[in-house]
Amino acid sequence: MWNRLLIRKIIAHSVLIASCALILIPFAMVVLASFRKGNFPPSTLWLSPEQWTLDHWKYVLGIPYSEVLNAATGETKLVGPTVAPLRWFLNSLLVSAIASFGIILLSGTAAYAFARLKFRFRGQILTGLLVLQMFPQVLTLTAYYRILNYIGEHFPWLGINTFAGLILIYLSGISINIWMIKGYFDTISPAMEDSARIDGASRFQAFTRILLPMSAPIFAVVFILSFISMISEYPTASVVLQESVNRTLAVGAYSLLDEHEKLWGHFSALAVLSGVPITIMFLLCQRFIIGGLTSGGAKE
Amino acid sequence: MNDGAVHITDLVKTYTDDRGRPTFTAVKKINLAVENGEFMVLVGPSGCGKTTTLRMVAGLEKISSGTIAIGDRVVNDMEPKDRGIAMVFQNYALYPHMSIFNNMAFGLQLAKKKKDFIKETVTRTSKALGLDVMLERKPQALSGGQRQRVALGRAIVRNPQVFLFDEPLSNLDAKMRVQMRSEISRLHSQLGNTMIYVTHDQVEAMTMGDRICVMKDGLIMQVADPLTLYRQPENLFVAGFIGSPPMNLLKGKIARKDGGLVFTETAEQNAITVPLKGLIEPLAAKHLDKAIVFGVRPEHLTEGSENGSRVPIASTVDIAEPMGSESLVYLKAGTGNLIARIHGETLFHMGQPLTVYVNIDKVVLFDPETEAVIR
Repeated sequence: MWNRLLIRKIIAHSVLIASCALILIPFAMVVLASFRKGNFPPSTLWLSPEQWTLDHWKYVLGIPYSEVLNAATGETKLVGPTVAPLRWFLNSLLVSAIASFGIILLSGTAAYAFARLKFRFRGQILTGLLVLQMFPQVLTLTAYYRILNYIGEHFPWLGINTFAGLILIYLSGISINIWMIKGYFDTISPAMEDSARIDGASRFQAFTRILLPMSAPIFAVVFILSFISMISEYPTASVVLQESVNRTLAVGAYSLLDEHEKLWGHFSALAVLSGVPITIMFLLCQRFIIGGLTSGGAKE
Repeated sequence: MNDGAVHITDLVKTYTDDRGRPTFTAVKKINLAVENGEFMVLVGPSGCGKTTTLRMVAGLEKISSGTIAIGDRVVNDMEPKDRGIAMVFQNYALYPHMSIFNNMAFGLQLAKKKKDFIKETVTRTSKALGLDVMLERKPQALSGGQRQRVALGRAIVRNPQVFLFDEPLSNLDAKMRVQMRSEISRLHSQLGNTMIYVTHDQVEAMTMGDRICVMKDGLIMQVADPLTLYRQPENLFVAGFIGSPPMNLLKGKIARKDGGLVFTETAEQNAITVPLKGLIEPLAAKHLDKAIVFGVRPEHLTEGSENGSRVPIASTVDIAEPMGSESLVYLKAGTGNLIARIHGETLFHMGQPLTVYVNIDKVVLFDPETEAVIR
């Protein structure tokens, strides 16, 4: 009996450890590759002491470091990137943060209309949004390019090669967010807003002071998901942003893996770095993602 | 002072779908005058339009046609906050992310009242409701009764001319419901404001209302004080809705028998026959040989025949429910049962033959076609 329990425990734990390993081992490989001398793809779980280096991290952060030019003479040269990948990192932060806020603003207000207002074709539009969501944004890339090009002729700050242009495109992919937020609004009793209106709140005040605070969890979720997806978004960003200076993280990182020179070490360092803002954002939003925020107000 | 009077004239509410096409009419041209300081109860089964009417008074629902006036102002196009009303909802509708204090203060804050004034008002009201020790808590930490008391407090601090209640006790357990019932009644006598109270519970209606408005299918069936409603129902619906157990309503016709008039139930078996004498006789004579509904309250059927105006009905006991103080005896009748509310001195048994006596002066007759009372 005791043995059977033990065996069961061992089996259970092996499965758990194996699944953890499946996630952690590749991650560890990438981390190690970012500290490994030379540009090797992530492939090892062990570095001998003489293999360690901070060069890749210095490169990524834009700090000049010395590179051995001639192994025989020991001649070295101070080198650094022409455009520090840190710049790409900051670009991504800027674009993702602004676009995420924009997405919350747009999808939140749209979801409110779908959840609470009555208008013609409401049902059809909702279904339409769902259908649109099924096509990947990549399919419309050339169209976006033409549109941005055209806009750029009249408003240069919103054209190709601008962050504003990229954000504009990101803001167009919000239909799933509208659905998610609408679903959350639907669970909140309309009596809340009725009550607020009797208390003297305008429709807008009832929205901002009652409905929004109660919906913090869903907004946190939408914010995180948008933020993560935009930090790692490649196709659109690679088409819209074509200058090395204003690349985003994903585009910049990929450019390190040139056909002729694959800088795996630099790439790995940048990949690890890109996890930082996502983690921070997640920790920040986590405190809003709590259950029971709407409980206690209404009894159904 | 006539500020709290509510006049509803030819009020209609037709709901529409997303396209604005009419779907169904919830309120069908009703007229109702609520006096200043009156406790008016709107009662009826679900879907009768009582809540819709209340929401139109509150301004939460657009009026399709007709007018609503509070005091001497027509409020049709007025915002809820400007109507001088406050409302208590069935599901409390407290703001879950705010403390109890802020829940009660929200309206005053929006009205940009002075901080001291808000603090003083909320503190005073919460003390009166026994909520002063929990002002910092969130609604989640309160029991159902306390939450509804907060909702009451939120209404009171607005100092409205008219209080609107939308089934405020339906979500409470039975004991708390009885307690809150008397609390709201006490509140009404203290404040003296007009109150319009929606419920589907006829006991709440009878115990709380100065007057009761019975509604069905978007129409008003009768408006009267509780006792009038109970004793002189205008129609079959009110007779069957008010009272627990409800009035016995037997379908049959009036015939002549042995020189006198009798009511005979139309049924295959167990048909009940009641001699019609006394005050009701001239009325019955006018409807000789016509279909009629015979209505009598359970408590007007007794075992003994103390008074002169009582006539016997012979039947057998179907079921008996002894309650201690009294017994509800279900007698076999042509269709269903004839319920008698009889003393609780002895137990009655199934199948026992029993003759009960009808207080014939209390009998009400209805026309089965128009469903209206016959006078």
